[in-house]
Amino acid sequence: MLVFAISDKGGTGRSVTSSNIVYRRALQGQDVCYLDFDFGSPTVGAIFRVSTASRGTTRGGMHRYLQGEITEPSRIDVWTESDRDTIRAKPAGAGQMVLLPGDQGGGEFATFDAEMLKRCVRLFAKLHEQFDLIMVDLSAGRSFAAHLALAATAQLPKIPARWLVFHRWTRQHIIAANGLVKGEHGLLDVGREYGHDPGALTDRIRFVRTAVLELGSGDFAHLRPAQRSWLNEIDRELRELATRNGVGLTTMLGKVPLDPVLQWREQLISDEDVAGTEIANAETVFAFDDLAKKIVDDTAWEGL
Amino acid sequence: MTSFSEVTAERQIKSGPLSHVSVELGHLYMEDFQAGPDRLRQQFAMVAPWLETVRRSWQNRTPGGRARISTCFLIDDYFSRFSTPDELVPMILDAAAENDLVIDYLARESACAEADGVKLAKLVEDRLVPDPPPGTHSWRPPPHETGWLANGTRSPVAGAGQAMKPQIRWEPPTQNAKRGHSIFVDVELWNDDNRGRTWSCPFLAAVWQLLRLGLLRNEGRLPVQPVQVDGGFPRDWDELPPVVKLNKSATPFSAYTTMSVLSTRFLQVELAVRTILSQVSVDEEVLKQVLSRSTDEDLRLEEELVDRISYVFL
Amino acid sequence: MLIMGEVRTGLLQNSAEIEERDHQTVLGLLAGERVRMSRRPIVYAVSPDLLTGVDCRLPSASNARIRGVGTLVSRATITGGRILQGSSYVRVVRGEVNHRLPWSHYLARPGVVEVLGKVSAPDLAGGFLAFGPPGEQLDLGSVSDRFMDVVQESALLDLRAPFRSDRTRLRWVAETGEPGVHFILGESTGRTLRLTHHGEFSPAVVDLCEDLALHDWLLTALLTIVQRARIGGASRPEVSARLAPAVDTLLHLWMPGARIHPSLAPLWENLERTPGFSRQWQSLVERVRDQLAVNTLALLRETNG
Repeated sequence: MLVFAISDKGGTGRSVTSSNIVYRRALQGQDVCYLDFDFGSPTVGAIFRVSTASRGTTRGGMHRYLQGEITEPSRIDVWTESDRDTIRAKPAGAGQMVLLPGDQGGGEFATFDAEMLKRCVRLFAKLHEQFDLIMVDLSAGRSFAAHLALAATAQLPKIPARWLVFHRWTRQHIIAANGLVKGEHGLLDVGREYGHDPGALTDRIRFVRTAVLELGSGDFAHLRPAQRSWLNEIDRELRELATRNGVGLTTMLGKVPLDPVLQWREQLISDEDVAGTEIANAETVFAFDDLAKKIVDDTAWEGL
Repeated sequence: MTSFSEVTAERQIKSGPLSHVSVELGHLYMEDFQAGPDRLRQQFAMVAPWLETVRRSWQNRTPGGRARISTCFLIDDYFSRFSTPDELVPMILDAAAENDLVIDYLARESACAEADGVKLAKLVEDRLVPDPPPGTHSWRPPPHETGWLANGTRSPVAGAGQAMKPQIRWEPPTQNAKRGHSIFVDVELWNDDNRGRTWSCPFLAAVWQLLRLGLLRNEGRLPVQPVQVDGGFPRDWDELPPVVKLNKSATPFSAYTTMSVLSTRFLQVELAVRTILSQVSVDEEVLKQVLSRSTDEDLRLEEELVDRISYVFL
Repeated sequence: MLIMGEVRTGLLQNSAEIEERDHQTVLGLLAGERVRMSRRPIVYAVSPDLLTGVDCRLPSASNARIRGVGTLVSRATITGGRILQGSSYVRVVRGEVNHRLPWSHYLARPGVVEVLGKVSAPDLAGGFLAFGPPGEQLDLGSVSDRFMDVVQESALLDLRAPFRSDRTRLRWVAETGEPGVHFILGESTGRTLRLTHHGEFSPAVVDLCEDLALHDWLLTALLTIVQRARIGGASRPEVSARLAPAVDTLLHLWMPGARIHPSLAPLWENLERTPGFSRQWQSLVERVRDQLAVNTLALLRETNG
């Protein structure tokens, strides 16, 4: 299955959430890979703590592959090449976890041609042979990466594809997330151009809320009553806004609570980070785990 | 070799009869036809002495002077259709006869695209093995994906460049087998539009050369068999066999070598044809058959395909 | 002087074995050529030979700059309607001249790469079998891979393979000499094979390498399935469910040496002694069957008790 991670704005936690979903899926025993299609900023190696690819690879990555300079993009086995001991300790029964990084110094593409599209289609098809989950992390906003992904999936109707749109729980983000999907030159618009059926494509898009503050949780115990009622009021407004924008509960796949660890360092959250050093919250891992299951759970993706 | 004991596992390649040389007396396009029968007569008058020269030279090369020479003539019915066979063919034959020329075989250009249900052009396209520019270490997009075939490396184009990367600067194209300087040739093999695929004139001409050299096979069989027609030509081009045998006593249509007597306006087309033919991989088995036959006849054939093809440009 | 090749092996991307009549469509990579098939002892189909032109550096253990020009021969095969292989090889010979000739010269010698300049066979073989990083050097594997991709793109396949699997890559070199064979299993998906045989090179050698690659892939795939099943770690029904694809898809495909020319059979027998492919396969198969039997019994006891 192909899963595309996209967000209208930067800073939504798209990369770190999708990386953690991949990690959780691998722990659940599935073979997974992560493709860095954030062409303007190929830094996903940093999240997986693979120092040889923290700013992209020098051994031939996604940029050079798509441009036809190399026949295969290089792959990194995260279980063996991560610098973090807790990640390197691959548990029994875990699946493969492979990273396909961008090139060091690689930039956003100005356009793509027919040959590049063919190469992209071939890569997706080949990865589908090997991996249960292929997570493709796309550049923020309307990008050629998103165009390329839409064009390529239109040519691969037999490979299931799903889209995750990440947004924060703010007015601006909710409106932006809706615009990215339904607005002019949004996913549906561009998808139609490449031959996607808008109805079918809509069914394959779900939203993920990130850095969410749970009002009922203990974090808010110290708030003054005035602050609490203001927050409640805003939250109600946001929920209304979200529903009006088609970003409401029915189209939401999951939400990730605000976790201090992720605010300061984008990283994979291992069970050790929760149970051992206790730097991360159990709720965060629970949210990732839940998303990792829902991504492939067909009942979460039934037509609306 | 895998020992296949079953019928479908074996490969059988038929062989066909061959003349020494197949001489093409001309191509007929719409504009020639529009110029009237006089133009055709003039053309045949110019061709006649060259055919005689070819005949003499092959008689000198063959034991007892028994050279097998067949002549042929190609009519375009692919790019534009004009007149009808029952009108046009007698006119061509008359013009030839006035110059003491005998046309043994008449072929339709569309036969080079598809004949008797066999897609000959596709057959040849699949056998293109592009001349690799230095540095080719692996697979490259084959011509059937791009529709173009070159004899070297194209100038780089500014395509899907990356942001904040230096712009691509112009560089000259280069010919792979250049001698000091390049003569770069890039041939369009076909183009597609809503009516489907149109093969280019040079590509069909390359198929035409391979047919005349008897080097094509479809599932091991000879794809186009000349059909004898004794007078009475149809009114519709589609009813005319792809290759018509006009002369009962003609030697075989296909030959070890070909000679084409053409107007100089075909010079560019034929350069393109040679560019294509030098990148076609002909079945080894077929090449061996032709070679062993020619050896039996004490004939030394050029090893490379393009060297078996010659021209007179008028 | 030296033949080198690379076989890539993987699972055909279809939920079921493909039908006999579909092989022509799936493997018909060249118009006007039939796919050759044999049905005993297992359905086996092979595409027509395909040529690819190259002009590049050849591998070298000493990092010498050796340029070769010519064509590779490739083909794709399907065994048992299930396993797909892409295979390419090339015969490296010393060219008569030190400069590149017109392309038609090389086209007249299909499957031959001529070296412009000096070359030593051991240096070439050493460089090739070292699996260096992909670069400017001759890359037989990606050509093999490419033809597998073309097959997998066939509209006839539903892309719903019973399990995920990685393609393995086997690089081989063959020379004339006292018969011998040396197989090395690499860390990841890479394997190497050096073999020497009596007489001139023939495509039977390629058949042998492909057959070996096929069985090595089967063993690798079955091992992965068994490891992932977490026997003893996961619940019995889970283990059984994870082992099921192996039984459905793989177990009946084991037929080492079935298509090997008798003159090369002793080489297969060598490989059966060390590393002992069939021994390992048998013990894995028994483990899978025992597990399924035990799990079924346990399940029966639960439902009855």
